[in-house]
Amino acid sequence: MAKDGFDVDVPEGPVVTKDAEPEVGHQFFYFSEPTEEETTLSITVVGASGDLARKKIFPALFALFYEGYLPENFTVFGYARTKMNDEELQNMISQTLTCRIDKRENCDDKMKEFLQRCFYHSGQYNSENDFAELDLKLREKEGGRVPNRLFYLSIPPNIFVDVVRCASRRASSEKGWTRVIVEKPFGRDSESSRELTRSLKQYLAEDQIFRIDHYLGKELVENLSVLRFSNLVFEPLWSRNYIQNVQFIFSEDIGTEGRGGYFDHYGIIRDIMQNHLLQILALFAMETPVSLDAEDIRNEKVKVLRSVRPFQLEDIVVGQYKGHSKGGKSYPGYTDDPTVPKNSLTPTFAAAALFIDNARWDGVPFLMKTGKALYTKRAEIRVQFRHVPGNLFRGNIGYDLDRTTNELVIRVQPDEAIFLKINNKVPGLGMRLDRSDLNLLYKARYPIEIPDAYERLLLDAIEGERRLFIRSDELDAAWALFTPLLKELEENKIAPELYPYGSRGPVGAHYLAAKHGVRWGDLIDEYL
Amino acid sequence: MATLSSPHCPSSSYCYSSSSSSSESRYGHPRLVKISSISKRLAQKTLSRHAQKNPNSNVVRMQGGSMATKTIPIEGDSTPLKTPKDGLFSATSWQESSDLSGFNVRKDESTVSITVVGASGDLAKKKIFPALFALYYEDFLPKHFTIYGYARSKMTDEELRNMVSKTLTCRIDKRENCGEKMEEFLKRCFYHSGQYDSLKNFAELGKKLCQHEAGRIANRLFYLSIPPNIFIDAVRCASSSASSTSGWTRVIVEKPFGRDSESSAALTRGLKQYLKEEQIFRIDHYLGKELVENLSVLRFSNLIFEPLWSRQYIRNVQLIFSEDFGTEGRGGYFDHYGIIRDIMQNHLLQILALFAMETPISLDAEDIRNEKVKVLRSMRPLKLSDVIIGQYKSHTRGGVTYPGYTDDKTVPKDSLTPTFAAAALFIDNARWDGVPFLMKAGKALHTRRAEIRVQFRHVPGNLYNRNFGTDLDQATNELVIRVQPDEAIYLKINNKVPGLGMRLDRSNLNLHYAARYSKEIPDAYERLLLDAIEGERRLFIRSDELDAAWALFTPLLKELEKKKVHPEYYPYGSRGPIGAHYLAARYNVRWGDLGLDQ
Repeated sequence: MAKDGFDVDVPEGPVVTKDAEPEVGHQFFYFSEPTEEETTLSITVVGASGDLARKKIFPALFALFYEGYLPENFTVFGYARTKMNDEELQNMISQTLTCRIDKRENCDDKMKEFLQRCFYHSGQYNSENDFAELDLKLREKEGGRVPNRLFYLSIPPNIFVDVVRCASRRASSEKGWTRVIVEKPFGRDSESSRELTRSLKQYLAEDQIFRIDHYLGKELVENLSVLRFSNLVFEPLWSRNYIQNVQFIFSEDIGTEGRGGYFDHYGIIRDIMQNHLLQILALFAMETPVSLDAEDIRNEKVKVLRSVRPFQLEDIVVGQYKGHSKGGKSYPGYTDDPTVPKNSLTPTFAAAALFIDNARWDGVPFLMKTGKALYTKRAEIRVQFRHVPGNLFRGNIGYDLDRTTNELVIRVQPDEAIFLKINNKVPGLGMRLDRSDLNLLYKARYPIEIPDAYERLLLDAIEGERRLFIRSDELDAAWALFTPLLKELEENKIAPELYPYGSRGPVGAHYLAAKHGVRWGDLIDEYL
Repeated sequence: MATLSSPHCPSSSYCYSSSSSSSESRYGHPRLVKISSISKRLAQKTLSRHAQKNPNSNVVRMQGGSMATKTIPIEGDSTPLKTPKDGLFSATSWQESSDLSGFNVRKDESTVSITVVGASGDLAKKKIFPALFALYYEDFLPKHFTIYGYARSKMTDEELRNMVSKTLTCRIDKRENCGEKMEEFLKRCFYHSGQYDSLKNFAELGKKLCQHEAGRIANRLFYLSIPPNIFIDAVRCASSSASSTSGWTRVIVEKPFGRDSESSAALTRGLKQYLKEEQIFRIDHYLGKELVENLSVLRFSNLIFEPLWSRQYIRNVQLIFSEDFGTEGRGGYFDHYGIIRDIMQNHLLQILALFAMETPISLDAEDIRNEKVKVLRSMRPLKLSDVIIGQYKSHTRGGVTYPGYTDDKTVPKDSLTPTFAAAALFIDNARWDGVPFLMKAGKALHTRRAEIRVQFRHVPGNLYNRNFGTDLDQATNELVIRVQPDEAIYLKINNKVPGLGMRLDRSNLNLHYAARYSKEIPDAYERLLLDAIEGERRLFIRSDELDAAWALFTPLLKELEKKKVHPEYYPYGSRGPIGAHYLAARYNVRWGDLGLDQ
């Protein structure tokens, strides 16, 4: 056993699981069977010098370590082409680490400890030799324990397959598990996505591939199933009988800001709609799964995706932001971005109406809207309920009945909140009604900091919890839905409707909604 | 014509003889008959809160069906009429003259005279006069109105005004002009001293009212703020000597409406000798509370509650009322009635009926009350075993000794009168079969509160059972409508505790009135008085409702008294007798107000 540094004296102990309190881990080993083999975890961030790695992955790993969620024995390796030594990597990482606001004690010690477990290996992404060297180093750190290896591919998609080939051939674990986390884009359409899956599967089994959709790691998306399935009050409401429409809204208040190269190749539909919003839709609309196990949940999600009616071009509105001057300040248009072709037709905004042709949702419009450079940063789910049949208070409401329907809003960001709009009597003499909120503002109710989506997803990948990762057939179904539309948009060179930077997006979105008898809820509640 | 426009009332208590349409021809204005009848209807219809927009010039007043085309002929008169008129003009002209004086709207004027019988009493001082002032202050009273205090004490108008002025307050959120408004209001308050059973005294009152009404269509509202044993005397005298001949006469009575079915029926019979059903306004001031009013709005204007409102989703309903003080030396009246009659049979049962009724055909009073009666009549009569009674005993805490109920000097030492009661009720209809409706009411408890709690069933086949542990009761949804203090509505939902891992807890989706609505919430009496003035009967109790309510409780009350059932004692300031928990447990219910999360 190669003894190396701090983990020599660490006694044997089982992997600390999510359910166990971190403190309990220490007591655990006294009771554990002496014959039980020690395991260790090696996390290799491939593309360690990139932006995502620095800003999200290393901080998330540190947060997990800080909260005691990582197993006792673990090693973090950075892998990239850049020449760097361990020291330099540790320096780079240390600049982005922060401690949770609500738990500052020992933070510096913990940071130091964490950094001591971070190493770097420089190599080419398509070099089996370089990965074999990595393997040697990993073995050294693993010190003879049962090694579990997690590779996080934080690299451009065109080298996914190379890396997976090299890593699986040269650096996968023999006794423990080897898992690979990949992030979008998973292709550009059905064919390229299937091609990618096929290639990955040459080297990996399905249960080794962890396709991340970081939106699924958001607190309120996780909570969606809890809300639905552990509250009786929502149970009878969750169908076409009571729900008039559902809206999924994601907006950013910034543009591509000089980094449009990648984006221009994909566009907002592929970047946000086909993955994040569609995933949330599937979670929202699925039937009750047999259990909370990943396979059961993903089975139900696939069923929803496969019941969605194929898109028509008229069910979608695309837009692109243009330059806009406001208060003496000038905001650049999308094509002003030097990394974007001047004649680009890539949509930076899209609104779409989807229909799920099953017994639960027949006829209920699911509206999606997403865009860059809009007036606000927001992600939310809005469920608008039907009118009250034979409303006794019709006379008090006036004739705009749309203003009086109930609405459930799940705000994913910013300021996580759940609120239910109800009609209420305005206190006072007389009978005036208005809409009030029954609300739950997370900030007020839960003083703790809400973990970043990447923390949750990394932890789940370490623990083999696949609930929040996307299975191949899910991915296929999602692409099957969007591919014909995307092709049609591109073949017909559909010009996007231009909207000013910082505006509410193209007016066409309203007409799309109106066609299906819907009003966008986010633009009604301006007070938010 | 001359008689009619004279400010002096005829010697009879009637201002004007009730005239039929023939009277117009008698007075030689046949041409105007049609207009007159139209305007009369209009006048009635528009006597609503926003309808006091009569022009202040060229007023045409209706007098028993005939019309006078002159303007108000009271100038130079020596009666106190001038005062209210002046106040009135200054109060309204700035608003109304601008938009209306340009038109020659000819409409009949009406006036409201509100007589508070028992004006020197506590309720009158603390609630009725302040409520009337608040209505005036907020411009909800008609343009012409007069308030009379009537009681046995000798007092002058001035003395009454002094007394009233001490309890008037202005809304916190609207202080401007408050002093002026008070003065104006007090100028319209008068006093008449008389016996409650004297026809003569009431006739004198009638005469005075006439003078103030000055020939307008006179609507008269009598508020009986007197002990129940003199209700009928007062009603007899008021109706025979002081009721209006040109407008309506209404009488507001407050509980107790008898002690049981028989005495209640006798009271109703007595009242109906002199009044018609639609003249009787039985007040249950709980129905005037903001959140009780809101109950129907919640239920019927929010689709999300519609599927939930039945035995299919609701496990139990709890109606809870508690006070944190005892009888405090005023137990004489209470001891005769007890908490069941004082709170349960009326306030809580009324709320239950509103909660549980089927959707009415409309929001009209008769439609709503029809549905309420149906609920009451579907209820299973209460059994002794479904009721727990208690009585508070003295308790020493932190050096302070709180007296027991029988320590109250006005209460007999051996009194068995319950100061606490909990009951399980059942509505045997299709919607509510098997759902326990639990009521709990008590004095001298640890908290002051009134609320409705709706506990929903368990989630069938809950995927998250494992995360809840074994106590699934903790995991059901609950809707709480808190009537007082601090009006609020909240829905307890299960939610994921933010963070890694999957821990669930109950959070509230809530609406806290103080945070959402900055306005002060009006007192129940304001609403009820206004409704009585406007003839809106929705919040008042009809005779058949009252009968049904008594039918439910009378056998139980008789049995309790006949068997001399002893109440369970509980310390002053405690959570009440333990028996209430066992009663709830028998129906698999937990009191929501005593749970962990409170």
